[in-house]
Amino acid sequence: MRQVLYKILFAFSLGLILPQIVFAAQISFDAKTTQAQVGKNFEVTLFVNTEQENLNAFEGKVTFPNALLDLKEIRDGNTIVNFWIEKPKAQDNAIIFSGVTPGGFNGSSGLIFSAIFEAKKEGVAKFEVNDARILRNDGIGSTAVLSITPFEMVISKGAQVEIPAIQKIEDREQPELFMPEIARDKSISDGEWFIAFVTQDKVSGIDHYEIKESRQKILTFFSRWRVAESPYILQDQELRSYIFIKAVDKAGNERIAEILPQNPLRWYENYENWIILIVIAVIFASGAKKILWRKRGARI
Amino acid sequence: MSKYLLFATVLFGVLGAYFVVSAVSVNVSADVQSLCGNGNIDSGEQCDGSNLNGKTCSTQGFSAGTLSCNSNCTFNTSACTSGGGGGGGGGGGYTAPAETAAVFSGRAYPKSTVTLLKDAQIAATAIAGSDSTFSMKLSGLSGGNYIFAVYSEDSKGIRSSLLTFPVSVTSGATSYVSGIFIAPTIAVDKSEVKRGDNIAIFGQSVPNGEITVAVSSEEEFFGKTIADQNGIYLYNFDTVQLDMGQHFTKSKAARDGAISSFSKAISFAVGTKNVAAGLPAKCPAKADLNSDCKVNLVDFSIAAYWYKRTISAEFVVKDGERLNGDGKVDLVDFSIMAYYWTG
Repeated sequence: MRQVLYKILFAFSLGLILPQIVFAAQISFDAKTTQAQVGKNFEVTLFVNTEQENLNAFEGKVTFPNALLDLKEIRDGNTIVNFWIEKPKAQDNAIIFSGVTPGGFNGSSGLIFSAIFEAKKEGVAKFEVNDARILRNDGIGSTAVLSITPFEMVISKGAQVEIPAIQKIEDREQPELFMPEIARDKSISDGEWFIAFVTQDKVSGIDHYEIKESRQKILTFFSRWRVAESPYILQDQELRSYIFIKAVDKAGNERIAEILPQNPLRWYENYENWIILIVIAVIFASGAKKILWRKRGARI
Repeated sequence: MSKYLLFATVLFGVLGAYFVVSAVSVNVSADVQSLCGNGNIDSGEQCDGSNLNGKTCSTQGFSAGTLSCNSNCTFNTSACTSGGGGGGGGGGGYTAPAETAAVFSGRAYPKSTVTLLKDAQIAATAIAGSDSTFSMKLSGLSGGNYIFAVYSEDSKGIRSSLLTFPVSVTSGATSYVSGIFIAPTIAVDKSEVKRGDNIAIFGQSVPNGEITVAVSSEEEFFGKTIADQNGIYLYNFDTVQLDMGQHFTKSKAARDGAISSFSKAISFAVGTKNVAAGLPAKCPAKADLNSDCKVNLVDFSIAAYWYKRTISAEFVVKDGERLNGDGKVDLVDFSIMAYYWTG
């Protein structure tokens, strides 16, 4: 009798849980093979299946056995995430990520990022996603029901099966055109002007951004690029400088966006102009001097 | 003496001309940015749109191919072909891929402005025709996955919900995204309606479109109406069938076999009195952190600045008014921002 009761309770609980599992968004891994060879690289990709829901925010922590694997590279060139709050990066033997897709994403195989690992020694490498959170595109950020499928990679010394080589990315394209925006807000650095920027590179992904500011345009050539993140508090709060933002992709291709000064220097405030004036004056003076010397010589 | 005078005149003339040129050059460089895209070759431009200034791949040092223009008005030689090497059975030429582009077409509202976002940033705008159809082409893309989104504003300035669609763009080809159907706009005439009175639910969609209005209660009620030639629709809903309390309504449109998604849901209360409602605000209800009526990269940057930091007293107010008001900036706040995004 008790067994029958347990069975009924079990069936009832299953009935409550199953619909949630069926309609839960899924985070899963994918790789070309489940077998790897010691000393060789392999790629694991993290996907989301939204199960017909419109989802707009994704975060989590991908864990992997550090003793077996060496993380070589993270690729996010073709991600569905438009803005990274935390770009996928290695931290505490895991890869953390957090980002949003404005307007939401609804699809069965949304690529979040992929990672390339080198197998260090034999064993079974288990990939999991911890602290994962995916939010609905509903205006209140409600949490979507989520199911996560872990992934295992068997690492051996000799190749049991043919392991496909990782596709080498040949990126000859610059990052996409972008338009940085200068703004200020009382809540940021006491209302100081800042610049916001972002762009994409569909092939290898953006590696980093660099910035330089200069009130002189020609002499900007000699000033140094600094690595920067958006939002960047501008050094020239009078907005009299040319601002150059350089986006560099993971293959080293660059795209530079130039912002003209909002309050440009007057001609006499720009010492570039004075240098040019002096050079012209010197040329004229030396020319005049030569003419005078020739005429004086002719008289003598 | 007159020679010195002549020399001085020439010197000052040259210097004067330099000053004028240097003063003007600032304006010229500023103008260049705004002129790119007008179809004319202006100072500093190699080309503009389809205007290639008479140049071809061969004038640019290639042997064949198609020269095109980048969006920054410089030549795009990626579809130009270089000839192969010479003697000794030398190699063939490298043929770069043709233009990578995407064409978007669909329905919005008659004569409305349609905004296209590429990876959440405004990439193009177009004006829909009086039949509400629109089409726009986006060039200079790379091969890869993009998230495109469109929205429009009706004749009263009410913005539609953002319609997003992932598109995998093939390098060297033009992708066509057709059948885009922007959801109707929606508004109600009362924020609170006396139970048993009618509430007017109205908005704009395609001309002569069949509008389905849904009102949520314990059970959902549906009604249908036809939009007029300007796409304007009005549906009077009898609230006698609703319980007291808060309710939501939304609408979708159908025409020629195509159906839009549902509009944003807006709320109204069923109570004991009638309270008139204003038109929905033109500015986003939330997430507009710098109060410029847009939710875009700047707002994202402001929020990102406070991510995982103790927020300032100044930002606490914004968090309460425009985010979720939990005293911190985390993924939920960014999700709210992503929902209200305008680009």
